[in-house]
Amino acid sequence: MKKALLFVFVYFLFVSSDAYAYLDPGTGSIIIQAILGAVAAFFTSIAIYWEKVKNFFKKISKKNKDNKNL
Amino acid sequence: MKKIPGSFRDPSASVFTFENRIIRKINKSGNEKIRLFISSKILEESVKKKYLIDTWVLEDENLKKKFNSDFLLEHKKIPFISYPYEWNFEQLKDAALHHLDFNIFLIEKNFQLSDATAFNIQFIENKPIFIDAMSIEKYEEGSNWNGHNQFCQQFLNPLILDSRKRVSYNNWYKGNIDGISNIDTCKILNVFQKLNPTIFFNVVLPAYFENKNRNKNLNDLKLLNDNKKNLNKRSYLWMLKNLRKFISKISKSKETTFWRNYDVDNTYSAEQFEIKKKIVTEFIKKNKPKNLCDLGCNTGEYSEISINNGSNHVVGFDYDQGALTKSYLRSKEKNLNFLPLYLDANNPSSNIGWNQTERFGFLERCNFDAMIALAFEHHLAIAKNIPLQSLIEWFVSIAPKGLIEFVPKEDETVKIMLKFRKDIFPNYTEESFRDILLKRTNIIKIHEIDNTQRKIYEYEKIS
Repeated sequence: MKKALLFVFVYFLFVSSDAYAYLDPGTGSIIIQAILGAVAAFFTSIAIYWEKVKNFFKKISKKNKDNKNL
Repeated sequence: MKKIPGSFRDPSASVFTFENRIIRKINKSGNEKIRLFISSKILEESVKKKYLIDTWVLEDENLKKKFNSDFLLEHKKIPFISYPYEWNFEQLKDAALHHLDFNIFLIEKNFQLSDATAFNIQFIENKPIFIDAMSIEKYEEGSNWNGHNQFCQQFLNPLILDSRKRVSYNNWYKGNIDGISNIDTCKILNVFQKLNPTIFFNVVLPAYFENKNRNKNLNDLKLLNDNKKNLNKRSYLWMLKNLRKFISKISKSKETTFWRNYDVDNTYSAEQFEIKKKIVTEFIKKNKPKNLCDLGCNTGEYSEISINNGSNHVVGFDYDQGALTKSYLRSKEKNLNFLPLYLDANNPSSNIGWNQTERFGFLERCNFDAMIALAFEHHLAIAKNIPLQSLIEWFVSIAPKGLIEFVPKEDETVKIMLKFRKDIFPNYTEESFRDILLKRTNIIKIHEIDNTQRKIYEYEKIS
């Protein structure tokens, strides 16, 4: 029993102390930031795809120009 | 060497007062952080930009030995410690903007603030300044804004409630040291107010999720387990800048408070004001108090006169928000060494927080050389039934010398105060006022004010 108590004491002394002890981040606050992160990631991937689409058309128009020049 | 009890929450450092200096002892767990601060010069840059209070690393080996620490920081001492529940709307707004600006500045340099407690901001006269150097930490790409919820509770929600609903936050805040929660704020706002995009995103949504997930374990939330969806730097900065824009535009509710126009609309004439002005000027010139307390400062007229005549710092106290706002704007516009603060003298700020030592009460923070209490005493003695004896003892405990205006029963204001209530004050006479004051102090002079029966007593405590 004593050993168990000692274990619990040591556990909380070392394990729980590295949490943000003087801050309660609030569940809601964490969630909206996760959503914001997801939204940002979504728009970033759209931007990447948009860039790819733009490059694709650029290549086509460049090919056409090259063909005309030939 | 005395440890400041309010600094206990930070395991990496503790703050001490030592020979009238403010020293921050860095504990072993804070050594790595302080090395980073030194190599990156982030403290120096923050001080230079006036975000952080003057802070320097102490190289005094003897002092290091005395404190048993490898690193010591020294901070400039603040003339008078104040708390967010004592700030008026404009002060809380300026403090919020200061916090956001500082965090934006830090993030751009790959640092950030680890929390968002309003108690880390102090006012030096009319300017907010950040005091806790150890709240600065390294910013890691993808990390959340951990202080968001705290920022909303301690800055944003009180401002929203005052601005949108005319709810005065001071006493609520004083009762709850963490500020005002998102959930409570949402209960008060109406649908249209909640639909403001900044309020919706920062207050309404978090309150909704908090309510919804109250009984769930954070680890069970799928959304939070996806590592790819971390907040990037741009989004973090967007949150800060969006809040900055919202707060910079927020204004106090238009409600006219009773005392706001007191300086233009009161029961005594311009002639009497001139007499009082002369008495205050004379008193200040004679005593040159370094720190002066102006009880019932109203819009700060006498505080300004005191500064112009030789007082270094004036802290003014009042309970009227309108008057306090005017005072603060006066201090800012004229750049006076004048800090107006909210105080309900009938229930002053007391020792609160953990172990009742985290935040000090009004009397515990008083370090004034002199005080003035003009047209103030009757608001406690008559309106609040405070016995004269107790009231005078309280006045004298604030400062060793001062001016107290006695307003007798024959005065118009007191007559109005007693009009609809029973006169239960048989001992409220100038004679008993004088006798009680004489027991504790030497009465230096009794100033008469022409055409009134009011008198200003100049006292000096018997040492």
